[in-house]
Amino acid sequence: MAGSELSQAVDQMAAPTGATRSGNALVRSLIGGLVTALPVLVIGLLVLNFAPTYYTFLALGAFVNLIVVVGLQVFMGNSNIANLGHSAFVGLGAYGVAILSTPLAMKKLSIPNAPFGFATLELDPVSSAFIALFVVGVVALVSGKVISRLSGVAATIVSLALLIIVHSVFLNWTDLFKGNQAFFGIPKVVGLPWMLVFAVVAIVAARLFKDSRWGLQLRASAQSPQAAAALGIDAKKLRLMSWVLSALICGLAGVLYAYFAGTISPKLFYFQMIFNTLAMLILGGMATVTGAVTGVIVLSIGLEFIRSIESGVTIAGIQLPQLLGLSGVALGVVIVLCMAFRPSGISGRHELDELLSLLLRRNAK
Amino acid sequence: MDYALQQLLNALAFGAEYSLVALGLAVVFSIMGLVNFAHGEIIGVSAYSVFLAAALGLTSPFVAVLLAVVMAALAAVVFERVAFRPVRYAPTTTGLLTAFGVSIVVQNLFMLLISPKPQSVSILNGLNQMWFFGPFAVSSLQVMELIVSGLTILALVLFLNRSTLGLAIRAASRDFATVRLMGIKANRVIATAFAISGALAGIAAVFILARRGSVSPDLGFGLVLKAFVACVIGGFGSLPGAAVGGMLLGFIEVGLLVALPQEYAGFRDALTYAIIVALLVYRPEGLLGQRIELGDKEI
Amino acid sequence: MKVEKLVVRYGAVTAVRELSLEVGQGELVALLGPNGAGKSSTINALTGLVTPASGRIVLDGKDISHVRTEDRIRAGLTSTPEGRHIFSNLSVGENLRLGAATRRDPAGVRQDIERFLALFPVLSERYGQAAGTLSGGEQQMLAIARSLMSRPKLLLLDEPSLGLAPKIVARIFDFIGELKAQGLTLLVVEQNAKQALRFADRVYVVSSGTLRYDGPPAKLADEHGLFNLYLGG
Repeated sequence: MAGSELSQAVDQMAAPTGATRSGNALVRSLIGGLVTALPVLVIGLLVLNFAPTYYTFLALGAFVNLIVVVGLQVFMGNSNIANLGHSAFVGLGAYGVAILSTPLAMKKLSIPNAPFGFATLELDPVSSAFIALFVVGVVALVSGKVISRLSGVAATIVSLALLIIVHSVFLNWTDLFKGNQAFFGIPKVVGLPWMLVFAVVAIVAARLFKDSRWGLQLRASAQSPQAAAALGIDAKKLRLMSWVLSALICGLAGVLYAYFAGTISPKLFYFQMIFNTLAMLILGGMATVTGAVTGVIVLSIGLEFIRSIESGVTIAGIQLPQLLGLSGVALGVVIVLCMAFRPSGISGRHELDELLSLLLRRNAK
Repeated sequence: MDYALQQLLNALAFGAEYSLVALGLAVVFSIMGLVNFAHGEIIGVSAYSVFLAAALGLTSPFVAVLLAVVMAALAAVVFERVAFRPVRYAPTTTGLLTAFGVSIVVQNLFMLLISPKPQSVSILNGLNQMWFFGPFAVSSLQVMELIVSGLTILALVLFLNRSTLGLAIRAASRDFATVRLMGIKANRVIATAFAISGALAGIAAVFILARRGSVSPDLGFGLVLKAFVACVIGGFGSLPGAAVGGMLLGFIEVGLLVALPQEYAGFRDALTYAIIVALLVYRPEGLLGQRIELGDKEI
Repeated sequence: MKVEKLVVRYGAVTAVRELSLEVGQGELVALLGPNGAGKSSTINALTGLVTPASGRIVLDGKDISHVRTEDRIRAGLTSTPEGRHIFSNLSVGENLRLGAATRRDPAGVRQDIERFLALFPVLSERYGQAAGTLSGGEQQMLAIARSLMSRPKLLLLDEPSLGLAPKIVARIFDFIGELKAQGLTLLVVEQNAKQALRFADRVYVVSSGTLRYDGPPAKLADEHGLFNLYLGG
């Protein structure tokens, strides 16, 4: 048991060292990230040029999920600690820009009593985004200080507590967040092209972190805490770092969601999003960025299919009843089966570019 | 005076309920390292069983209580057999995510097979009355909650200290392999732990039903999240820690209920969690947890 | 008990290579070898805590290679694991009671507990205390007593001398000698060759998972090179 763990750890560490030997690691990692993002780019461009509006709308939602899942991977994949609170950061990003950038005329309708002068403040979308992300970063830093000190299980529970705290604030601080009702009137400034650009940026950033010295050290300490500590690796600092980066990517997804949908509400950023994105990451494989991408593509299509059944379909002239809960059952079954039969997910331990180069080498022989 | 007593009873009753659920989580975690997110759905199965039995004509509250406890224990054992056995020796995160998956499946099955809307269950309403002791009026439910939880915990302690299987459960929390070397069947130890965990959840389900008078798909989910927090604050995997953490949580909640002005009542949950997280800053290993150093040998 | 061509692998590492050995009724057999020779892997394969890649384990003429650990104990094979593994959070008495978990004769169990307490007075003094508070030697006594509580036919002892002072080791081996005299079959795995050879009927020496010597203890001492090479004199 101990032997196999160690050999795995060594295995994992050996891979990037090999990359250093064969040239500039940074460039290699960058190219790797771009290769991973390629399928996303292709799908995005196809949708952009050929798909009807309805599908464009679906695709935008899927891209938001993609960025969330990639953000989730940055923490979970490298630290191997389950995070069940990441949609809090998505919500913070979205509400951040909603409060800052919504036109004053709209604000009079939705949050006329907002404190701190927010009721009379209207910023441009770009500065709003930066400020929202700054807030996300601060919340992540504070929560990360606590989480990075805890053992795996306790950290997971605290991530959940964070989600509940943030959600509860959205619901109850009605002057600022408008409570349970939808917050509308956010400027719709993001379309598919921008979404595509940021998806690629998120994928590359996640990949760069994973292959960086910090990512490598964090993965090593997740595999064998003693060995890593003996090498002088500060696991707490690295967990904090990946937590904050993960939160920022999730926050970015929230910002983009608010700017494309124009309307948000607290329940969007609660357990349903956790279920969806977690199932996507697990199905694809949380050890790699490729896994995150694969999971989103496969499950987005699968879920859309199931939702069409869920809302009641007509098969051979017979109208089936609404089957609310079907997609939830499917998500849960995906998680359970994956964990039992293939815990490493569809894509396993290799990134897309690593797989391709393995294939090429095998063919060359 | 009356008010203070009433709030004290409130805190104790809440705390007792959290303790029961947290103990169920801790029993399972301590022996197999499983963070059982599906514990809330065990409460759900128990509550929906009572709902269905009542719908089919059951009228005896006594039978309903028995049914709730038995079904919960059964559900826990079935969950283990079907979903958790394949990941028994897997890393903690794998088990945790599996349990999360089971929780999602079962919650949505309630939605799909019964209804997404809350369903009324009145069979246990009789447990919830006002009792008058001289000048004091107390809720019968809260008194029962306290007494039953106390007796249950006493029974659990006796079982764990007296019976061979109980000893095996305690021993397994430290060293499962050696327990097997004593010729004790691993499956039996684990099934017993799950049955206990489920029965505790079933007792909690009875009280929830009696108080709310209805069932809904997410009935147990929120409660279990709180019980998890109780476990973390008590020291994850420690049974006394779970009981103490549950009580503490009850007192924090009721304390906030008393202290917070009405217009901030909505922030009660948020503040409860925030206080607990703040406590963890000072004691990351929990109140009764042991600080584990990396260099410690596993004994 | 007979072991045929046992192979144990951990991932890519082979810990035991085609090891065959035999322990006859009433015999005390010593399995010697340096650190990392595959001794504990062999024991774990015998108790079923690790699944061997191949090979056969036969107990009383029955193939138990695919029998679960707990059922092997019930069949009369017991092991005292390396590092003792007493249940530190349980009391001394509770440890002994768990050792008898497979038995259905409460009176007999009580009698056996009394016998061991008389034999090891220190366990009697600490009966109600957590076993984790015992010293290393006391823990080893408790671990062996706990194994004997199941009334085994065959006892596997994994490194009973580990981490203990020489005087205590000598006492433990005196006790092992007594057990043999009472007719118990024993397989003792050791690095401490000198002690293990005191009562051994036969000796196996392993290193790197392979059998290097098989024969009576007297001859092992003659083959001086082997003795020095693997057992450090």
